[in-house]
Amino acid sequence: MRELFFLLGFEFREEFDSIAWTVYLWLFFAFQYFVYGQLISKLVTSVSDYYLYYGTGLLIIMTFNVGTWAGRRFVEGAHEGRLRYILSLPIRRGELFLEQVLLGLASNLVRVGPPLVLILILNGMPAVVLLSSVAVLLAMSVGIMGIMISLSFIAFKSFDIYSAIIAGLSALLIRFSTVLYPLAFMPKAYSTVSLANPLTYGGDLLRNSLSVDVNSLLNPQVSTFVVVAVGISTIALGMMLVPRTLEGVKSS
Amino acid sequence: MNLENAVETVGLTKSYGNVKALDGLSLNVRRGEILVLLGPNGSGKTTLLHLLSTVLKPTSGTAKVMGYDIVKQPLKVRESIGISFQEPRGFWRHKPYHILSFHAAIYGLTGEEKMQVVEKTLRDFDLWPSRNKRFMELSGGQGKRLEVAKLFVHRPGVAVFDEPTAMVDLEGKRMIWDRIRALREAGSTIIVATNEVREAEYLADRISIMKSGKELVTENLRTLKDSITGGDVVEVGLSTAISDQMLQVVTGVPGTVRVLQESESMLKVFVNRSEDWLPQMMFSVQSLGAKVTSIRVSEPSLDDVFLHYTGKVVVKQANA
Repeated sequence: MRELFFLLGFEFREEFDSIAWTVYLWLFFAFQYFVYGQLISKLVTSVSDYYLYYGTGLLIIMTFNVGTWAGRRFVEGAHEGRLRYILSLPIRRGELFLEQVLLGLASNLVRVGPPLVLILILNGMPAVVLLSSVAVLLAMSVGIMGIMISLSFIAFKSFDIYSAIIAGLSALLIRFSTVLYPLAFMPKAYSTVSLANPLTYGGDLLRNSLSVDVNSLLNPQVSTFVVVAVGISTIALGMMLVPRTLEGVKSS
Repeated sequence: MNLENAVETVGLTKSYGNVKALDGLSLNVRRGEILVLLGPNGSGKTTLLHLLSTVLKPTSGTAKVMGYDIVKQPLKVRESIGISFQEPRGFWRHKPYHILSFHAAIYGLTGEEKMQVVEKTLRDFDLWPSRNKRFMELSGGQGKRLEVAKLFVHRPGVAVFDEPTAMVDLEGKRMIWDRIRALREAGSTIIVATNEVREAEYLADRISIMKSGKELVTENLRTLKDSITGGDVVEVGLSTAISDQMLQVVTGVPGTVRVLQESESMLKVFVNRSEDWLPQMMFSVQSLGAKVTSIRVSEPSLDDVFLHYTGKVVVKQANA
């Protein structure tokens, strides 16, 4: 385990050596929340406090993007030779996978944490809400990273196809979910699809923890179960698939 | 596993679809030796190194590194082996000092000892002045030296170098070769994959020539050169005109492969093991009352050996 934390520290240092992407994410949040969010929440009157609803939606989108980035980074590491070097070090494959997940979680905490804190402060929420909100976002992040890393085997055949699939998946998962609009307001066809989408449960769970429009949200116990189950199953899938993918395919 | 061997492979195969990158390779590397894998591009050298360092898993067959099975005990193998990859890539934003410090820490070095080893290694590889540059700012040669230098931080039982001097200038090549030799003297077993013949000649205790995922031959340089039939070329000047009888006598000397008369008193003879052939030839010539006035011997180069085993004909070159 000692090696895992050395590696985690080393990769974390490289990840945040450049803060350009982090600053971009914060700027994206600021513009969307303070400009677009302000205006759209005046148009949407049928959802009580849509401004806060929209703000939490942005946090979920950011979590999704950071999770996607973690998967993409993993794939790029394989193509660039970084992963090949790590594979040659005396670290168990399971620990390596865990390290990648922890790196993703740390990235999520650093990049999504400040906007979350800002929303809590602006809405006068107690500090204890921060803990539950962070827990939900990190749990979601695990599931998203698990999916993205598990899909990395596609990238070893074609990085272009992987990129296209991830972009398509991102668009679909966010649109067919409760990230930007509640389930109760969706047409039947949309809501049926959205109920099969883990982001719906993650989004509603986050809003539960922030006490947003509680009546229109899914049962928090069900949402917790789905989010945790998706996280565990995708990580297990990744731990099974990734070593086979990496050790059976040329990395460059 | 034979205790004299640091590495043993048995029927080691790696396939990508229908392509066999490595095809049933059985090879031993003795403890403390420098084995050079020499082969054209695509001969399976790099695949073999990746399998031995457990970066890849074999499709079939197996291998042991310092007694540990690469499939069943990969962690033990990784603790025993170190690999310097062909292309120096990876942590673009890290600096050489941090890269080697991390590498040292992973292999258990800590505190003052770690700092001393990292500094010494950076100085040994002429990277100390560049220690705080980012990896992406290093030249190709510096990046390659850094890649090679990693193995000198933790000095593994089996050190594997994939084309260790590619992209490195002549001075740097010599420096890296000398360091690799020193690493062997310090107790490591060395495997070097290269397609540079001069590198093989400089470093190798034994050379394994590979082609299409298979080992064609593994021997020391002397034996490899001697293994080429008629590989040594001897030009002999005689004190008298060459008669038919003289030609017959020279042709009859054991080890003679082919005799050409170059001029009235000069022969060009293709022989096996010129060191054994020459005394016998001189005795035979003197028995006919002639004297040898000049001798010029050229033995096959490793290029010739390489081309011979990988499909080209050496005699064609000797005649050129």
